[in-house]
Amino acid sequence: MNNTSSSNSQQQQQSSEARHDDDATLTEFLASLMDYTPTIPDELVEHYLAKSGFQCPDVRLVRLVAVATQKFVADVATDALQQCKARPAPVVKDKRDKQQKEKRLILTMEDLSKALSEYGVNVKHQEYFADSPSTGMDPASREE
Amino acid sequence: MSHGGGESRRLHDKAGHSGKRKLRVSGDEFARAIAKIAVAQMCETVGFQSFQQSALEKFSDVTTWYIRNIGKTAQFYANLAGRTEGNVFDVIQGMEELGLSQGFAGASNVDHCLASSGIVREIVQYIGDAEDIPFVYSIPPFPVARERKPVPSFFQICGESPGEHIPAWLPAFPDPQTYVQLPAGNEGDAVFNADKIEPARHHLKMDMSSMNLPQHFTCNGSGGPSSVTFGNSARATQWTESNPFLAAPLQFGEKEVSHLVPPARLSDEAAVRYPVEQNRIMDNHISVLETFAPAIEAMKSRFCDSEEGQKKVLLNQRPAVKFKIQVGKNSLAGAPDLSPQKIGIEKISKWFGKDSENDDKKRRAEKILKQSMETPSELGEL
Repeated sequence: MNNTSSSNSQQQQQSSEARHDDDATLTEFLASLMDYTPTIPDELVEHYLAKSGFQCPDVRLVRLVAVATQKFVADVATDALQQCKARPAPVVKDKRDKQQKEKRLILTMEDLSKALSEYGVNVKHQEYFADSPSTGMDPASREE
Repeated sequence: MSHGGGESRRLHDKAGHSGKRKLRVSGDEFARAIAKIAVAQMCETVGFQSFQQSALEKFSDVTTWYIRNIGKTAQFYANLAGRTEGNVFDVIQGMEELGLSQGFAGASNVDHCLASSGIVREIVQYIGDAEDIPFVYSIPPFPVARERKPVPSFFQICGESPGEHIPAWLPAFPDPQTYVQLPAGNEGDAVFNADKIEPARHHLKMDMSSMNLPQHFTCNGSGGPSSVTFGNSARATQWTESNPFLAAPLQFGEKEVSHLVPPARLSDEAAVRYPVEQNRIMDNHISVLETFAPAIEAMKSRFCDSEEGQKKVLLNQRPAVKFKIQVGKNSLAGAPDLSPQKIGIEKISKWFGKDSENDDKKRRAEKILKQSMETPSELGEL
């Protein structure tokens, strides 16, 4: 009885210590956020947070949301990139064209919807939407 | 990656262009354009070299959706805890909820400490790995918030509210002169509006009534429908003075006659009030009315003698509106529309032919008047 209670209190002490550590790391992490500049600008995040009804004067929280969003975008983009790389190369007629397409990685709706579906976002690509896969290519090919 | 600068510049152009195009659609183009640039930047970092426009739009949409959802769930948790302002733990809980479909370390433990959440650890790890790529442009804080000037409350103006039942923090009443004379103005407005609206409205109604005459009569007995079909604001004011349930059984023939009676009086009255507007009406019809005034007057007095006092009141008031209907129709609609109306009148007279001598006389006078009223309007058109 005595033993168990002492071990219990020990556990509690340990867990409270762990929590204290967690708190410290969390505070540290939040403080470190101020040094990190996320790609998503604070103003944008603030704007959309305000739109959603969230109000908090703490800038660190805005940063936290920005970083979380950036991570989300990066994850989805990485998945889409994998989808893009895994897809068999499109059939090409011209030799010069082939060279170009092999090295081009284009974010397409198809890959994006596949990547997003893993994150619980169901995106259905419009069947007849007039958006050719080469949309982003024209200026680049003009440059070359 | 080598085309990085060029691409983001081009993207910016495109975003600006589409923003201009959709200017009327949502009003959130600036934020959307910025989101697109940021997402494109991140995609570039990951390794993409180009993108479909639709894919980029979708991706930036989902990104803003993600931000808003974090905010929404965080606010939800803050409110759940009885706070209005969120804190870190609310945000972390919101992120955990959004990450549930993906799963994270320690998600299975319901009682896990939020400070050491797997989500936070993942983010810490991500920050350690990712490059620090700032946004390409510097953005002013938006949207620009204008200072709002609230209406001063009772408390601010005089320190206490005018009545005990009005809390002092409510916005104060406007100046008394803005509402003291309101009733009079309202009445005038109502009449004026009625004058303006009536022609078109009754033009339609008369056509309909002539077509649906039998039905109209069947329900006329109850009185309600008749008042509804011919109801207007001017009429409504009369209702308050006379009992609508007494007005109900009023026969159609009676109405038709009575509406001829007061026009002279009415148009005189109206002419005083709205000289300009009534001028045209007078040009067309006053002569007719004046010629028939004695006969009508005599008949009306005879008719009213046999009736109760209240009905007399009704007749005196009712016609004012009725006549205006006729005026509006004739002056507006002209000759072609007169034929259905005439048919309607004839039908009416058939219906009421057997009713009484009074009605017979009225009908005759009505016919004569009708014919004479047609001629001036036609002349006027010529």
